Amino acid sequence: MKLTGPLERVLRVLLADPSAPHYGYDLMKAAKLPSGTLYPMLARLQQEGLVDSEWGPQRQDAGGRPPRKYYRLTAEGARVARLELAQAPVPARRAGYGTAQPAPGGMQ
Amino acid sequence: MSRAPRVQRICERLIRAACRRLAEDMRAERCREWAAELPAILDDQSIRPGLRRAVRALTYSAGIAWSTRQLSRAGGGARPVRTSQWRNGAMRVRPSDVAVRVTVGVAIWLLLIFLLISLGSAFPRLPGWLLMLGLGLAAGFDALCLADIARAGQVRYLPKWAWALICLAQTPLGGIIYLSIGWVGRARPVPPGSGPPGSAQRT
Repeated sequence: MKLTGPLERVLRVLLADPSAPHYGYDLMKAAKLPSGTLYPMLARLQQEGLVDSEWGPQRQDAGGRPPRKYYRLTAEGARVARLELAQAPVPARRAGYGTAQPAPGGMQ
Repeated sequence: MSRAPRVQRICERLIRAACRRLAEDMRAERCREWAAELPAILDDQSIRPGLRRAVRALTYSAGIAWSTRQLSRAGGGARPVRTSQWRNGAMRVRPSDVAVRVTVGVAIWLLLIFLLISLGSAFPRLPGWLLMLGLGLAAGFDALCLADIARAGQVRYLPKWAWALICLAQTPLGGIIYLSIGWVGRARPVPPGSGPPGSAQRT
């Protein structure tokens, strides 16, 4: 697995809360990725067994909206993601995405 | 808020069209998954005004189209990459191919007109060298088209002589029309069985 910038962002977002369900649109927003980058990546991760997906519950309050699919790291995926992110160069070039760490010295 | 449902319908249609590229076993589920994200985007109150949400939903759908292309390339595609099908000399014409070629042809034609007009305003009295250059280019283009027709294994819709006449009669436009509609591609020997079904018998 080659850790590219977008992949790193997705893994950071997924790893920030490994057990929570991550819906596609929320992932797009959190990782700041367009759908055309995110979904092929998720498909690849899923193929490699690092991520699995499941249909969310049908919500009664939402006016008959269709259930959405969510993504989650598998146990193996979480392990690999931690390893890869630990080996990744410190994200000094573009801080402030994914995890909730503010940019150092950034204006609040 | 009457905008949202219409945008949603347009986006759903785009997504459905994009999903046609996928293999059948994953098509329906993927289509459902991606369409289900649309209400979430269109109701995302953190993005204002509603027009921006609509734009976001549309770009999301365009990204889905991109995704299905990637996914079908990575394997599990519904059909082979488009160009290889008619490059093999198949006369089967897909409407979308023709639409693309006509669009490109018209665009080139408009560009030519635009060039001519701007040239005309730049040189109120046409200098001789420019005239010669234009005539030379036109003759060269004609020769190119005629040579292509002569060497082509087959052309579409019309017999070869008709295309040759069209190219000569309407100098730049005829050639553009031929290249955008009638042109099939270099005839090359098709190994039996490699073309789409039906193309091998038609020689």
